[in-house]
Amino acid sequence: MSILLRNIIRFVLLLLLQVFVLKEIRLHQLVGLNLYMLFILLLPFNMPRPALMLVALLMGLSLDMFMDTMGMHAAACVFIAYLRPFIINILSPQGGFETTQKTPSMTSMGVSQFLTYIAILVFLHNLVYFPLEVFSLGSFFYLLLKILLSTAASIVLIVLYELLFFSKK
Amino acid sequence: MYKAVPKTALYTSTKKIYPVRNLIIFFRRYFNFFLFLLLEVICIVLVFRNNDLQKSAYLNSANSLSARLYERYNNVEYYFHLKATNDSLVKENARLHNMLRTSFDSVSVDNIVKLDTIRHYSTDTTRKVIGTEVRRYLYKEAKVVNNSINSPINYITIRRGRADGLKPNMGVVGPSGVVGVVRSVNENYAVVLSLLSKGKNFGFSARLSYSKEMGTVRWYGGEAGYAVMEDVPKSVKLIRGDTVVTSGYSALFPENIPIGYVESYTVADKSSTSYTIRIKLATNFYNLQYVYVIDNLLKDEQQSLEDSTYRLIK
Repeated sequence: MSILLRNIIRFVLLLLLQVFVLKEIRLHQLVGLNLYMLFILLLPFNMPRPALMLVALLMGLSLDMFMDTMGMHAAACVFIAYLRPFIINILSPQGGFETTQKTPSMTSMGVSQFLTYIAILVFLHNLVYFPLEVFSLGSFFYLLLKILLSTAASIVLIVLYELLFFSKK
Repeated sequence: MYKAVPKTALYTSTKKIYPVRNLIIFFRRYFNFFLFLLLEVICIVLVFRNNDLQKSAYLNSANSLSARLYERYNNVEYYFHLKATNDSLVKENARLHNMLRTSFDSVSVDNIVKLDTIRHYSTDTTRKVIGTEVRRYLYKEAKVVNNSINSPINYITIRRGRADGLKPNMGVVGPSGVVGVVRSVNENYAVVLSLLSKGKNFGFSARLSYSKEMGTVRWYGGEAGYAVMEDVPKSVKLIRGDTVVTSGYSALFPENIPIGYVESYTVADKSSTSYTIRIKLATNFYNLQYVYVIDNLLKDEQQSLEDSTYRLIK
C-alpha cells in the first residue's frame, strides 16, 4: 500500500473513530479521550513542514466541524505539526532515523524514543486544546489535572492502536 | 548559487539596488514560522468568532456532510434507546391527557363549542363570544441527530431548519423538561445550545413551583444530570423535591415547563443572601431522541415594546 493511500485511510478511520466511538465514551469529566492526533504523529518523516501544517489544519477543521468546537482542535493540530520536526530532531540519533521506514513507529524509532515522542506531542496538543476548551484560567488546577489525565489516556489509546496495527515490515 | 559572488559584494549590492530583496530573504528563511503564525491566527479567530451567539452556521455540525453522517449514525443508535424514548413519550402523553378538558368534571355540559382554542363563549344559552385568545406558542417536533454532553459547552443537532420556520433564539424542550435554545439554523438542520453549557450570561429564568420564588438556573460543568439554581433569597422556605419550572419571564419558554427538582440547598457563606440550590434536571440528556422547538409568535411584539421602553428611560 502506498504511503499516500495509507495516510488517507488513516485520516478517515481516525476521524470516524473519534467522532462516533470515542466521543460517546464518557469516562470522567477530567479525562478527554483523544486519538485523532495520531494521524499527525504518524505522517512521514520527510514531509515538508508547510505541508505538515496544512494537513494538520485540515484534520483539525474536519474534526471541529463534527464537534462544533470551531478552530479549537485545528489550533492544537497546527501547533503540534509545527513542533513535530523539532521533537524528531531532538530524539533522532546522530545519523537520523533509518530510511528503510518512512513513518514514525516503534520499529523505526525504537520503543522508548517513540513513546517519548508521542508523550511530548500529545501533551503539547492538550496544552493548547484544553485551555481553549475550558476558556478560563480561573480553575488552574482543574485544567492542569485535565491536561495530565487526558494525556495519559491518549498515550494508552495510541499504544493500543499501535499494537493493534503493528507491522514488522 | 551565490558562491561565485563574494559575500560582502552581495550584501552591498542588494542594499543599493534591491532593498526589498532582504525582506524577501527574511520571509523565505522564516517562511515556516510565518505560515504557522498565520494558521494559528486563523484558528484563534475562528474560535472567537464562533462565540458570537447570533452567527449562523457554516462549519459546524449542521452542515450537510456532518449532519447527514450524524443522521445515519443516529438511525442505528436510535434503536438502542427505543425503550427509554418510548417510556418518556408515554409519560408525556399521560401528562397531556391529564390536562385535557375531558379529564375534568366540568360544571357546564355544553362542551361542543368550548374546545375552540381561539374564542371563548359564555356558558349560558346565548353562547356569546366573551373573549378571544391569540395563540402564543407553537410547538414543532424535531428529531435529535447529534447530542454531546461531556464538553464545557454542549450542542445538540436537530433535523429541523429554516425550511420549517426555525430561527435562532427559540426555546427547545424535551418530553420531560427544558433542553436548550436554538443557536444557529441551516436549511434543514439546526444546532441547539444545550442547557448543559457553561457561560456567565447563559442561564434560564426559573421559578420554584411551591414557594413561587424566582431564580436563575445555570450549569457549571460536572455531571450531565445536575445544575444549580441561584439568586433565591435566604428568607424563602425550601422543600427538597420541589419542582423548578420556567418562569415565563423570558420570551423563550412558556410558563411552568419543568427544568428540574430541588435536590439539596446550601448558603455559599454567611454573608451571602441567597441560596445555592442543586437541582436534578428533568431532562435526561443521556438519551435525548425527540425535542420540541417552541415558536413564540408574540416574541417580536414583546421585544420591541421592551426595547422602546428601555430607550425611553435612557
